[in-house]
Amino acid sequence: MVSSKTDTLRQSSRTKETAFDHSLMPPCQAACPLHMEIREYIDLIAQGKVMEALQVIRDGNPFPSICAYVCTHPCEESCRRVQVDKPLAIRALKRFAVEFGGDRMIDLEADLKYDDKVAIVGSGPAGLGCAYYLRKLGYPVTIFEAYHELGGMLRVGIPQYRLPRQVLDNEIQRLVQIGVEIRTNTRVVSLDLLSDMGYKAIFLTIGAHQSLRMGIEGEDSPGVIDGATFLREVNLGLKPSPGDKIAVVGGGNVAIDAARTAVRLGSKNVSILYRRSAQEIPADPEEIEQAHQEGIEIHYLTTPTIIKRTDGHLNVTCVKMELGEPDTSGRRRPIPIEGSEFSDEFDTVITAIGQAPQIPQAFNLRIGRGSTIQVDPVTLTTTRAGVFAGGDAVTGPSTVTEALATGRKAAFRIHDYLQHKYPKDDQDKDEVISGELLSKTAESIKTRSRQDPEVVSPKTRSKDFRPIEKVYNWGIAVAEARRCLRCGMGAEILFQDKCASCLTCLRVCPYGVPFLDETGTIQIPADQCQACGICVTECPAGAIVLRKPYDRSHISDALAHAFRQATETKTSPLIIGFCCQYGLYGTGLLSGFWRQAKAGVQIVPVLCVAKVEGQHLLRAFEMGAKGVFVAGCGEMCARDKTSFWVNQQIEKVRKVLDQLGMGSERLQFFDPSVMEEDPTAALDQFTEQIGGLYLDSLLKQEVKS
Amino acid sequence: MIIVEQKPVDEIQRMIAPYERVLILGCGTCVTVCNAGGEREVSFLHDALLLAEVESKEISHTFVEHTVKRQCDEEFLDLIAEEANDVDAILSLACGIGAQSIAERFPEMVVLPGVNTSFMGMAKQWGVWDERCTACGDCRLDDTAGICPITRCTKGILNGPCAGTKNGKCEVSPEMDCAWILIYQRLERLGQLDKMRRYYPPRNFRPIPRPRRIMASPSIVAVGGSHG
Repeated sequence: MVSSKTDTLRQSSRTKETAFDHSLMPPCQAACPLHMEIREYIDLIAQGKVMEALQVIRDGNPFPSICAYVCTHPCEESCRRVQVDKPLAIRALKRFAVEFGGDRMIDLEADLKYDDKVAIVGSGPAGLGCAYYLRKLGYPVTIFEAYHELGGMLRVGIPQYRLPRQVLDNEIQRLVQIGVEIRTNTRVVSLDLLSDMGYKAIFLTIGAHQSLRMGIEGEDSPGVIDGATFLREVNLGLKPSPGDKIAVVGGGNVAIDAARTAVRLGSKNVSILYRRSAQEIPADPEEIEQAHQEGIEIHYLTTPTIIKRTDGHLNVTCVKMELGEPDTSGRRRPIPIEGSEFSDEFDTVITAIGQAPQIPQAFNLRIGRGSTIQVDPVTLTTTRAGVFAGGDAVTGPSTVTEALATGRKAAFRIHDYLQHKYPKDDQDKDEVISGELLSKTAESIKTRSRQDPEVVSPKTRSKDFRPIEKVYNWGIAVAEARRCLRCGMGAEILFQDKCASCLTCLRVCPYGVPFLDETGTIQIPADQCQACGICVTECPAGAIVLRKPYDRSHISDALAHAFRQATETKTSPLIIGFCCQYGLYGTGLLSGFWRQAKAGVQIVPVLCVAKVEGQHLLRAFEMGAKGVFVAGCGEMCARDKTSFWVNQQIEKVRKVLDQLGMGSERLQFFDPSVMEEDPTAALDQFTEQIGGLYLDSLLKQEVKS
Repeated sequence: MIIVEQKPVDEIQRMIAPYERVLILGCGTCVTVCNAGGEREVSFLHDALLLAEVESKEISHTFVEHTVKRQCDEEFLDLIAEEANDVDAILSLACGIGAQSIAERFPEMVVLPGVNTSFMGMAKQWGVWDERCTACGDCRLDDTAGICPITRCTKGILNGPCAGTKNGKCEVSPEMDCAWILIYQRLERLGQLDKMRRYYPPRNFRPIPRPRRIMASPSIVAVGGSHG
């Protein structure tokens, strides 16, 4: 058919413009220590493509299930949606992708490309991450772990209700699959020994397991235990009985974990003593809230001064504090209030005021502030040749994701070292979307409330160590993912020479983003654009494109695909439907179209029907479609006036259909928000109507001939 | 800006019927701005004509599309000289000036107008264009507070309003503003109502000797003398 030939020709002339990817890094990705492509996988979830989403997640993170449970999500803190309502629930969406992505992939054993053996000391997230990437690079890697199971703090620090052990085991299994050698119950006491064993490089990631001491009288009494040890004992399967009344000292996540663990061990009365106020408490607000729900009381501005053991109980004297001037950490310094002492009795006191690494003297390394190993920030090398270090042992207690990122970085730095290459500057060069949304942009964005995943009720969850957070169902996950503002993948005027300064973009933008600068040139600021694509569809000069190549070409590609399928299946009469991939497919309505639609309907999934241009519709007819329809996602749409803009294109094409005597009723727009009847019924009616028209035309031809 | 309107596809179809190879030529200025002949419309028309071919089950044309920055300057047309060699006709989506410019630049080439050149006007909002000037060659906007009665008054009278005005609207249509009421209101705002009291003698309605030509200076030697 001549049309498809010219179509291919025209496609090729367009590849010139599809070659550019000018999308900018969104703030969530910039905030993630692993720089994961959050925007991409969120968009894929919004489209209902969960397997693809998981693939994107896996590309950036070797152990996504772990992060899906315990990541402290700095991405959510930097999400610009906060200016509209609330940030996206990114971690929960990742959890959804991990659970529903059908991830049963078995990693094949990686090829060995090099002989240089690498030893990894410690199997926390940094060690696991480093082992994964080094093995993928082709090095023989051995992990040495002092305990009998891998995972470091993931295993011995994080309670099971936050990270089920099955999840951890599954992810660690990947390392075994790709061929990492694992030696548990092996404490490394000498680095020289490792060198003698033939290891050419060593990555030290021994964590920060040593609890800091409070330095008060009676701290060593029986019944006083530090948080790290307490959690380790519980996590390694011991079942300590801490008694009924427990005090936990400290305000970090370890303190909260210890308190909640104590509740789960049967303690009736658990209090947390924190020396500063609720504003300064470093623990995750969500965790604090959950701890409250489980009956844990937090006494702010309170610190113990003396612990005395009497009659099997601990008599703890506390003092109330007030906040003075900010100290070096920027937080206000707590000052004891004179005469405010009081005392209370507890069965156990758990101290969780911080942890530090404990580096064996024999390692012969330079130790810096807070007993951490000193390393070069770029190369991660220590004072000993071939010895690298990372994770909590270098930074002091930090997050799982930070540690994974360090592990990955270490793998590449060790690779550089073993291949005698200069360390590559891995600073991300991509331009990051910076700046806030202007208030007028933020106000034009439809609000959609954030949906947090359900959590098991406090009464049920505090009885045992089963995971407390439930995973999203499909509908909620898709709705939540659709809240993404897609920062940095908006429209740009790619061809300034073509721009006729017609001001169409300025007039059609639902967010008022394009503006005339002082020289009279139209500008579309990348940090404000919401990537709806309306200006791209309407630009009469074809000067504007979306920054992401996929957004520019996906409709033409999908149309070509639908046409190929129709040819293969000899569909007749052919009906082509341009349907919103976001709402309908994800919520099952479009999948209903697929299932129930009468034979002959080929769906062209589009990322918002506002991106469908008149030419796409004409081309569908050119390719032989007898009927064409566009179906939006109705009220779920991120914008109010999408159907107005779709109608502009529809009316334009209908006029041509009438002028050509083809009949404008062959092109329909289904907008679920204004449709009174069931959309599938309307579609069926349309297909029948088209079928009838088709039969009529056949009859007419018969009569003619 | 010059406002044009695309011709119906069936009319274009009839026009191109005798020519096998057709270059659809867009223009990057006025007609782009008024959504009738820019790159997007060229592509759209291209697809519409292909569809017409498919529908008629008679594949008798091939199309090439191109959009130049401005058709009314011959130098821009030099850029398509090669493409023009390979076609039988050029379907111009520019205004009548552009189409004639093509005819002058390519003496052997058939030129077909794809649009109707409508008027000189401006965009009122997205998708709405209004006529504002008739190019009468005798501008009186200083007397009429910047509102042209020749264009905006249906009768084009110089001493309005006439008796057909009602509630600020024209008797021709209740949706059409009476230009002379607009002029009165603006003169009042400017404190120049005395201009309403003056009598404006009839304009020179003698037919304007066409075509007109303007020369930047008398020293320029123009091909064809003082008339174009």
